[in-house]
Amino acid sequence: MIQFINVTKEYENGLRALNNVNLIVERGEFVFIVGASGAGKSTLIKLLLKEIEPTAGALFVNDRDLTQMKPKEIPFYRRSMGVVFQDFRLLPDKTVFENVAFAMEIVEASRKEIRRQVPAVLSMVGLASKANNYPSQLSGGEQQRAALARALVNNPSILLADEPTGNLDSATASEIMKILNMINHRGTTVLMATHARDIVDSMKKRVITFHKGTIVSDKEKGEYFFED
Amino acid sequence: MKIRTWKRMVRQGFLNVFRNRIMSLASISAIAAALFVLGLVMAVVMNINNIVSSLESKVEITVFLKDNTSKADIDNIEQQINSWDGISECQFISKHQALNKWREEWGDKKYLLDGYHESNNPLPDSFQITAIKPEFVEGIVEKANSIQAVEKVQYSKDVVDSITSIASTTRIFGLSIVGILIAMAMVIINNTIRLSVYSRRREINIMKYIGATDWYIRWPFLMEGMLLGLFGAVLSSGLVAAVYSLLEKRMGGPSIENNLLSLFQLLPLDAILYQIAVLFILIGSIVGTIASLLSMRKHLQV
Repeated sequence: MIQFINVTKEYENGLRALNNVNLIVERGEFVFIVGASGAGKSTLIKLLLKEIEPTAGALFVNDRDLTQMKPKEIPFYRRSMGVVFQDFRLLPDKTVFENVAFAMEIVEASRKEIRRQVPAVLSMVGLASKANNYPSQLSGGEQQRAALARALVNNPSILLADEPTGNLDSATASEIMKILNMINHRGTTVLMATHARDIVDSMKKRVITFHKGTIVSDKEKGEYFFED
Repeated sequence: MKIRTWKRMVRQGFLNVFRNRIMSLASISAIAAALFVLGLVMAVVMNINNIVSSLESKVEITVFLKDNTSKADIDNIEQQINSWDGISECQFISKHQALNKWREEWGDKKYLLDGYHESNNPLPDSFQITAIKPEFVEGIVEKANSIQAVEKVQYSKDVVDSITSIASTTRIFGLSIVGILIAMAMVIINNTIRLSVYSRRREINIMKYIGATDWYIRWPFLMEGMLLGLFGAVLSSGLVAAVYSLLEKRMGGPSIENNLLSLFQLLPLDAILYQIAVLFILIGSIVGTIASLLSMRKHLQV
């Protein structure tokens, strides 16, 4: 499903964010990507979103070589992934419903599909009652649920989550983790970058640890592992 | 793209114009100013062309005689003229008749001519010649010029030449002003789109992650630029129509100007407005779209 082969990413300022990374994530896995800031987590996510190009190596997602992808194909590739961020990135002048519907409009879904799909995904993340609220009227946890709904509404095969609980207290964070777990059980591959030790330890999922751009540990049902 | 997506793009374009209304207003005014000047140039040039073509079909020639030409010579010249090819009519107008005609033409303002009498009549004797066809005019003028007693020959070509040169001067001068104004309008629209892109950068960022195509992101801004141009075109068409109809009214009614200008009958407004409006809409939307494209190339990295 996701395969990194000798991937190196060096930024223009000479910073080597990923160094010769080899990694395979199978369909339906739930994987934590952990490490301190600057370990290469965000670079990994950006590479998967094809926001940036690897300096060396090959990168396959759903059997497609990302380094060979034409610019025109990128939007259609991105439709196969959902993504959520630490800062939610909801549009403040749209309601929750509109924020989620927005993702469907972009892929030119019909109004009928939108009316059917948006409430379904909102109730899946437990936000059906807040459909007509604006983001500013929601708590942080609710905003992240709305962002999750938006990421999931087009049925992506992969969900990328970049520090999704970074702005949330631990009780709210565990609510979000329950939803991510549920999504994973429905067949979506979940890749979550985080440095929240308690979450990682409690989930008993695969944990891949990065340090200074290289993988230092990759364990099934692992715990937060970090060596300086 | 699907029809509902197009609808969305148009709606989003309108929304952008409205959200950015101060800059939109500046853009619309700028494009309207440029097109307004273009409209005035076009109105002048179209009218001049109209006058030229009506003059060119005129077959009248006036031959002025030198003062103190004797009656015998006058009769002789009249016989001569009547023997030329292409003469339809040749009428002698004495300086006395000419003065009377002048008084008649000036109507209730004829008292202004009270100072002129038989003794100090400034008008010359003349022949009013009508050719059968415009093609004969040049030959007749040439022959008339070769007669000793002829002071001056006047015919439409003189007028045509001078107003044609007015038209070309107007065109060159006017169009260069229009060019400068359009360039300014483009700069302003360019900036307006840049601000619009800036104010929607969050949305654009999210759209990219969700998988919006580049053109899905670009279209609303193109629409915005096009709409700015269109609004400018509508505004300037209205302005041109207003100014022109005012001019039309001024030139109507009995007055000296009316009489002098009767030769230069203004084209009716609806004869020119349609062409001007269509051209404005074309130019306005093209200018707006191009300015928007240029702005996006620089400021919208999709």
